[in-house]
Amino acid sequence: MKIDLTTKIKNLVLKNPITVASGTFGTTDEYAGYVDPKKLGAIITKTITVKPRAGNPMPRICETSAGMLNAIGLQNKGLEDFIEHKIPYFKKLGVPLIVSIAGESAEEFGKLAKTFDGMKDVVKALEVNLSCPNVETGGVNFMKKQERILDAVKAVRDQTGLLAFAKISPELGDVLEIAGKVIGQGMDGISLINTLRGMAVDLRTRSSRIAKDFGGLSGPAIKPVALRYVYQVKKELQVPVIASGGISNAQDALEFLIVGADLLAIGTANFVEPQATLQILKGVETFCRKEKIRYLGDLRGSYRPAAEKGEGCNR
Amino acid sequence: MTEKKYDEDVSLLENKKVNEKYFKLAFRSKSLSQNIKPGQFLQVRVNQGQDPFLRRPFSYFRVSPGKVEILYEVLGRGTRILSGKKKGDVLRVMGPLGNSFTGKLGKKKRILVAGGVGVPPLVFLAGKYPTEYLLIGTKSKAELMPKSELKKVRAKVLCSTEDGSYGTKGRVTLLLEKILKGRHPGEFFIQTCGPKPMMESVITIAAKYGIEGEASWDESMACGVGACLGCMVKTKDGLKRACADGPVFKFKDLKL
Repeated sequence: MKIDLTTKIKNLVLKNPITVASGTFGTTDEYAGYVDPKKLGAIITKTITVKPRAGNPMPRICETSAGMLNAIGLQNKGLEDFIEHKIPYFKKLGVPLIVSIAGESAEEFGKLAKTFDGMKDVVKALEVNLSCPNVETGGVNFMKKQERILDAVKAVRDQTGLLAFAKISPELGDVLEIAGKVIGQGMDGISLINTLRGMAVDLRTRSSRIAKDFGGLSGPAIKPVALRYVYQVKKELQVPVIASGGISNAQDALEFLIVGADLLAIGTANFVEPQATLQILKGVETFCRKEKIRYLGDLRGSYRPAAEKGEGCNR
Repeated sequence: MTEKKYDEDVSLLENKKVNEKYFKLAFRSKSLSQNIKPGQFLQVRVNQGQDPFLRRPFSYFRVSPGKVEILYEVLGRGTRILSGKKKGDVLRVMGPLGNSFTGKLGKKKRILVAGGVGVPPLVFLAGKYPTEYLLIGTKSKAELMPKSELKKVRAKVLCSTEDGSYGTKGRVTLLLEKILKGRHPGEFFIQTCGPKPMMESVITIAAKYGIEGEASWDESMACGVGACLGCMVKTKDGLKRACADGPVFKFKDLKL
């Protein structure tokens, strides 16, 4: 049985819902020796900023229970380099590209949006990163002032008709409230969640195990939190959602689909299993075949709330 | 073109403690054994669950047709779990990763300076290419690599221990200085792998004598393929990824 995995978000049609979370799939072909990126529904890039960013000092990462902390700090070579050296690769690859952007001001968000608006042959959507925990200006602390979030998304909307997703996290405040407001400012959908700030202490030095006190927690450890927010946003707002947060196997992916996720962004799992994306894709298909679901859309959002479950379910 | 990489399930041939410090693990893999060079590493998934979560990077120790060996220290949870694996257990390994040490040096004589987890890859290098000296530094005799593991090495092997229980007492860099004193610097090339303070002083000594060399410089890694930007190294040409642009860097390129 052939399963139809086609995923539609407004005017964007993808062959399947599997993508990669920003910053977890390299800048171009780092994983191409392990996995065929052409099989992905879409690729979300590492966050691009207007100016090059060196990122944070080492150590930037440490492993924690079922996950990891990172404080990379949006290291990237900037907009110009991305256009000159990375865009041609993605153009040739032909996989729908979602560019993650972050600015230090509304003007920068606008500039990034305007630039990519002119590249619609390659760039199919933008993910507006409003929730990086590891940078000062433009990061999660900065964006706690809601007017800054709204100014940033407004600047993006003013400059482009591209599909735009606001990437938010509970670190910013009330997710539902913020999601509602950015949709009100013209965002097409929400991407959630980003990493959650956490810390880890080295007993010998009595200091952080990474070079900053806090880092962003990712991996299976945050999956239940991500799942809950994806569910709530889908239920309350009925807008397109890119889900990320610890999706590591087909079981996780299916849970997110059932609560309504449109796209599934595989993140930290790529670091452990370079073929995680395609293994998950295969697992989703296998499940659909077993459950006789011909069209993935029939599974999406089929969650039965606890209150409506009624009798016959022993949990 | 992207270099061919392998990510495969391998069956353990052996996994045993060889002394106070090291465990030796061997597995069969035709593809890996044919393609790996000294200085490169592999990423091992120590179990199938989600905790510990990340893979662990290990340097190759030795390869023979169809077989790969790694020598490792139990340093934390991941390596402790690994040390409990038995013959026949299956592990997921990917590689070969990273760049490698320069093999052919022309007329220059190779001096290898090794410490701690940096010993195995340099033993691999010394077994494969002509080497004048292999200098090994440890805390004490109990941590030295067993002589039986050095059979293939034709170099002069000199050891130092910090407590003086074997070889020269003191740091391994003492041995290096002794060799270099009064010699013509142009005749040597140094390659080093070990704790950062050791490599830093090797690089300082090399600079003093005007000798070129390479260091295997790593940082905590997650992906091992250059994707996560977790393991950056400061070089004169900006930040480089230890896992993908390194781990081997020229002394003159490193910005300490």
